[in-house]
Amino acid sequence: MSEATLQAKTSTFSAVWRNPTFLRVLLIAAVVLALEIYGRGWADPAFMSPPSGIMNAFLVKIAPEPKIIEALWFCVLQIAAAYALSVVVGVIIGLAIGATNFSRVAFFPVVLLLFAIPQVSLLPLVILMFGLGPAAKIAFGFSHGVFPIIMNVVAGMRDVKELHRRAARSMGASRADTIRHVILPHIVPSLFTGLRLGMTLTLLGVILAELYVSTGGIGYYTRLFAENYSPAPLFALIGCLALIAVLFNELVRIAERRLTPGKRRHPKLKIPVKE
Amino acid sequence: MNEPAISIRNVTQRYEGSGASGAVLAIDEVSLDIRKGEFVCLLGPSGCGKSTLLNIIGGLFRPTSGTCTVAGRLVDGEPHPDQIAFVFQESTLFPWYTVIENFRIALKFKGIAKSEWDDRAMRALKSVGMASFAQSYPDQLSVGMRQRVNMARGICVETDILLMDEPFAALDEQTRMVLGEDLSQLLAATGKTIVFVTHSLAEAVFLSDRIVVMTARPGRIKTIIDVNEPHPRSPDFMLEPRFSELRNECYSLLRDEIRATVAAQRDPQGADA
Repeated sequence: MSEATLQAKTSTFSAVWRNPTFLRVLLIAAVVLALEIYGRGWADPAFMSPPSGIMNAFLVKIAPEPKIIEALWFCVLQIAAAYALSVVVGVIIGLAIGATNFSRVAFFPVVLLLFAIPQVSLLPLVILMFGLGPAAKIAFGFSHGVFPIIMNVVAGMRDVKELHRRAARSMGASRADTIRHVILPHIVPSLFTGLRLGMTLTLLGVILAELYVSTGGIGYYTRLFAENYSPAPLFALIGCLALIAVLFNELVRIAERRLTPGKRRHPKLKIPVKE
Repeated sequence: MNEPAISIRNVTQRYEGSGASGAVLAIDEVSLDIRKGEFVCLLGPSGCGKSTLLNIIGGLFRPTSGTCTVAGRLVDGEPHPDQIAFVFQESTLFPWYTVIENFRIALKFKGIAKSEWDDRAMRALKSVGMASFAQSYPDQLSVGMRQRVNMARGICVETDILLMDEPFAALDEQTRMVLGEDLSQLLAATGKTIVFVTHSLAEAVFLSDRIVVMTARPGRIKTIIDVNEPHPRSPDFMLEPRFSELRNECYSLLRDEIRATVAAQRDPQGADA
């Protein structure tokens, strides 16, 4: 009897250890704890603050400051606008380039060439062209986000199965039918790969432009805190940006889960539990 | 009404090659009449153009020269979904649609009224014993089950002619035999005209009324073998001496062609040797 209970206990214990969420949370907690100890004990307060100090700075210096909250919200809107542009333009260009072998071979190298340019070097020019307002940030976010979307749509269209096209044609499908019921469903998984990468790069583009032009947005406050040697509010602000990034990524992931047709979703990681 | 269901006249198919390989003559002056309700197998070594011929009959390829008429209508590189249905390998089911959605889409493409979709689909699924899997995705089924569904999809569009392009190629031999028996049963009832492309000698003998044996590339008709055996055929037919005789006859006809094909693959210059 007691042996059975003991066995049950050990198996629950090992089941907890085999739970990936638990391990992940444990790792994060360990890192936070290590930073806290280092931050309190050894770190130079001009460059680093323990996590408790960052939390405190968030509550005291960030959250109650309407100008900073407004700047963050503004940043969210810019990202949303840049991303919307990237998605619409990226999907249209991707479909157009991927439409035939001919158009792909003709135009795809141009896309790859443009994508290879280190865009940061063009940032000053973008600011000159679009000014100090939100337009420059949206443009820069867009020019980053649009490429992975184009590339993945083109890649997805490239490997539509010939047999599927032929079957559809033999059943009497028109060109529009084929696009709607064969090509579009086929490219959904690779489209979402592009959408997720595009999201990350749009964020990068907008925030790079924000940092470069610091007249009152997030970029201004980041520079302000950094130059005043107050790392706690700086990290709190960066934490807010990270949170925004996570939220946007989560939105794309939810859309992916809901829109991926059939059983073609990414397989869930299964951890076998020993009996 | 002795007009043939399918009439192929002097069909030639040439593929424009690129570079040193040059143009390839896939089919050379093939003529063939197929009667209504007949089950005809195209048998030949790989690359002999049998699938190409099937695609020409179905209007998916346009022949370089020659004509193909189906029930008096010229087929010239345009599919006729009202008369002809295709069954390819099982992987032709669209993986993003459930089984029933795969049927609906086929009927939609064909222009059938929406109200009839589910009735027809369920009838076809019942005929192959797959009705309880209507809501499954193809990936959830075994290869054999997928091919049953795929066959049913070809049947549910209710065309007079069914073209089957190596439908059982991806199946193991045992599943293949069972599906072959089912097909024989199923089709005896419908009276469809069927053209079936295969590599398998046993499959050809077991299913066909006539076996069209083709030569190595360029594909020509070598011989046509009659299999005088009524449908539906029972597996006992495979045990009869006549079955082995026919199978051996096919093999002896094909042997030289297969050798020619293999020789051509080994050494491009030795194709005529």
